[in-house]
Amino acid sequence: MSDRSKLIVTGKPFRFDQERDAEFERLVKRYPTRESMILPALWLTQEQEGWISAEAIAYIADRIGTFASQVFECATFYTMYNLHPMGRNHICICRTLSCWLRGKQEIVDYLKNELGLKPGEIGADGKFSLEEVECLGHCGTAPVVQVNGEFHESMDVDKLKSLLATLK
Amino acid sequence: MAEMIKLFVNGVEVEVESGKNLIDALKVVGIEIPHFCYHPALGADGNCRMCLVGIEDGRPPLVPACKTPVAPGMKVQLDTGKIKKIQQDMMEFQLINHPIDCPVCDQAGECTLQDYYMTYDAQDSRMTVPVVSKGKKMDFGCGVVHDQERCVLCARCVRFTRLITKTGELGIVNRSDEARVTTFPGRPLNNRYALNVVDLCPVGAMTSQDFRFKQRAWFLTRDKGICHGCSKGCNIFIDHNREKYKDDIIYRFRPRLNEQVNGYFICDEGRLSYHAENEGRLLAARVDGKDCSVDHAVQAARKALGPKILMLVSPECSIEEMIAIKALADAVGTKLSGYSDGYIKAGDGDGWLIQDDKSANRAGLAKLGIDATKETFNGALNSSDAVISFNNDLFIHDTGSEFRQKLEKMKVIAVSTHNNTLTQNAAIAIPVASYSESSGSVINKDGILQHFGRAVQKNTPLADMTQIAGMLGSPIVTESDIASEMKKVLPSLTEVIPEGGLKLTESEAAHVPA
Repeated sequence: MSDRSKLIVTGKPFRFDQERDAEFERLVKRYPTRESMILPALWLTQEQEGWISAEAIAYIADRIGTFASQVFECATFYTMYNLHPMGRNHICICRTLSCWLRGKQEIVDYLKNELGLKPGEIGADGKFSLEEVECLGHCGTAPVVQVNGEFHESMDVDKLKSLLATLK
Repeated sequence: MAEMIKLFVNGVEVEVESGKNLIDALKVVGIEIPHFCYHPALGADGNCRMCLVGIEDGRPPLVPACKTPVAPGMKVQLDTGKIKKIQQDMMEFQLINHPIDCPVCDQAGECTLQDYYMTYDAQDSRMTVPVVSKGKKMDFGCGVVHDQERCVLCARCVRFTRLITKTGELGIVNRSDEARVTTFPGRPLNNRYALNVVDLCPVGAMTSQDFRFKQRAWFLTRDKGICHGCSKGCNIFIDHNREKYKDDIIYRFRPRLNEQVNGYFICDEGRLSYHAENEGRLLAARVDGKDCSVDHAVQAARKALGPKILMLVSPECSIEEMIAIKALADAVGTKLSGYSDGYIKAGDGDGWLIQDDKSANRAGLAKLGIDATKETFNGALNSSDAVISFNNDLFIHDTGSEFRQKLEKMKVIAVSTHNNTLTQNAAIAIPVASYSESSGSVINKDGILQHFGRAVQKNTPLADMTQIAGMLGSPIVTESDIASEMKKVLPSLTEVIPEGGLKLTESEAAHVPA
């Protein structure tokens, strides 16, 4: 995992659109405390914008009535939340124990060379972005790569080559 | 008194208080269980794993001592090979990415990590990979400087801002070896107790901008004191040192535990009020604008004493000083006033430690029956032709302007710890020792009587207020005379004032204005 604490400040105010606003109000009733809304609210933001800015985190904190630092913690802890704009194809490589032991580094090194990207970066053409993430829960079929939300299990460099060829 | 129970530690029977966790209960009987994240004021978090102990009763192999309440007959293991191995392993984890920059770290000498390394670890590093680099000297606001690399992620600071100040500025972001304490961009530390995170931090991650690089911890003499910043009377440590060829000065105040008064913390204003003990002091006696010896100034002042002189005593004076001054006023046969509305900053208090009343011993004035009303003071001022002030700065915080003109026409004698507007215009100015350089007792706003000893020993010590009062002719100046006088006004005071302060009885406290 790379350092995710350098948030992007857009300089523009953020707020939920009408649809997400309604969804927020619907969800908030389901939980015993308003703090429980941190993760769903982050999802709603990501759904709306594709990624989560510093302004969005502050908005969520104030909307829920909790500390910005607490929302900041959650957003940086979970790698599923994108804290900067993503490429059209977002590739996540699991770096937790099983995947590490089963050779995730070969995959990362291959992608680094092939795409010219380090984990946490997005290519200049916006086609690919790369991220090393924590356990994706597919330890039995490690190493696992997640591309645009889809899991590709028992990966190796050959399989990755053919997978990359299918991506636009 | 809580119920006492018996349990076994390493096979030896000990008697401890029930209702506590293992760390707190065993600490009382001198058994130390190492821990980073647990703090009595912040509760058990259980994240550091340093306090793991074995309990021989069939429960899981190891339990965190901070989350384990004591129970009768419990068999606690602290010295088995397994526990020692766990402690060593936890230390190795803590030190993987630690910069080990002790030679330039302010915490060195009072660092939990250093102490535990010597006690529980003492092995060379096995790490061959580069350490994870993180933020250095980050300005968190409120004078707190953070070093993310030194941090052990115990989250005491985070819990302090969430549970105690309820401002929640700090958080731990990222995870695994990239985890670090930080603030949200644009929302730095912003509360009046922020510097307590420096004391709470078991390592050198949180440092105070004010104290950074000023003094090594092992050179400091740590004396007990009472903060005179407001009427709460928080218990503090006065950390001071006399460097070679220099004078004894204070480098910092730190909170000292007193459950009855301030608990574990003090406010930032109080913490930084030590600057006023070092700076802006009145050091030389003056008569008519010319420096002179204290004796000469006192003789000049003594000549001016008479029924037409109004005596003004400060609510910052200790009970002992007030007794000596009151006796002086009685001997001279003049009026004594404790008028000091300037010391009250209305609306500044927060209902916790910070009080509106910025004087340490206003309750003492009331206890001795010294009138502090403006009306009496004004009346007495009109019938007097001179004023002698015992460290009462009428114009503190730019107040008392209505008396300025009157005082300009009068002879003013100022016995003072500090240079201020009153001493500047005084015909006679006499320097006295301040509270860190003398001893005494004060009563806080909750009616708790507390004693403080002398901490700082200046190269050229100033006389304290009781000595000056004696030189001016006060009949009550010896320690035993003052002590017997104190017992007269404070019936619950039988022997010496206990360590944690003496809560005055209801009837005594009833004299104390709210």
